[in-house]
Amino acid sequence: MLEIAPMAVAGIDLKRGSQPITGAVYGLPVTLAPAAPLVRWSLRAKDAALLSVALGRTLPDRVGTHHDGIARLGPDEWHGLLPLGTTLPAVSGQPLGMVDVSARSVGFTLEGPGAVAALTRGCPLDVAKFTPGRATRTVFETVEIQIWCLAPDRFHVEVWRSFAPWLWHALAEAIG
Amino acid sequence: MILIHCPYCEEDRPEVEFTYGGEAHIARPLDPGALDDRQWETYLYIRRNPRGAHAERWRHAHGCARFFNAVRDTVTDRFEVTYKTGEPRPAGDTK
Ligand SMILES: [Zn+2]
Repeated sequence: MLEIAPMAVAGIDLKRGSQPITGAVYGLPVTLAPAAPLVRWSLRAKDAALLSVALGRTLPDRVGTHHDGIARLGPDEWHGLLPLGTTLPAVSGQPLGMVDVSARSVGFTLEGPGAVAALTRGCPLDVAKFTPGRATRTVFETVEIQIWCLAPDRFHVEVWRSFAPWLWHALAEAIG
Repeated sequence: MILIHCPYCEEDRPEVEFTYGGEAHIARPLDPGALDDRQWETYLYIRRNPRGAHAERWRHAHGCARFFNAVRDTVTDRFEVTYKTGEPRPAGDTK
């Protein structure tokens, strides 16, 4: 298996600094911060049960939800966000795609009473209806992101690495 | 903004998450080599382009990433119904 350098997983040059930024939207405070480094998996399967057995994990049933660090993005696609050190099981000869994509994207967190309003500034979803346990791919302005609702006022935003500096700036503007 | 019902996400989602994929239910010929130029041209380029209900492919590109089909009215831009790839065009969708 390809070894991914720790820096590729952890390091991201956000150009305008990567310290947490606290701002407010409509007077509601919100803090933008880089998420801790994570292991990321791209998981593909036609048969969800087969994937579940191969991983030894319970997968979220519904498209648009997450459970235990794995989001169901589509009927045949899941995305894992797991603690550093989590490894994919060695499975072969099965119609499954399980790929470590830890270095492909980075995460930000938006936390606070203004988190929903901050996302709404660039995301066309009805974020206010996005309750804990929901996770989906969507867009912020013109950039594709994933949003995972972790708590009523806490969101994880996943973005491809090359878009991260732009999104960081856009979110900082949204709460500034 | 138009909301489009994604049959895989099972919810209404904003138009900007989707991309258009042309007329639906056009099967690629199984043996293109057996076709003459006129038949191949018809497959590649000739479309119904109706005024009114149109069955067409859409992709929830920035969502579940799946292609699905929709019947949209080309006059009003209203989506009458959406359904999963492989399912037949629902009866009674035309007005
Ligand atoms: Zn969808």
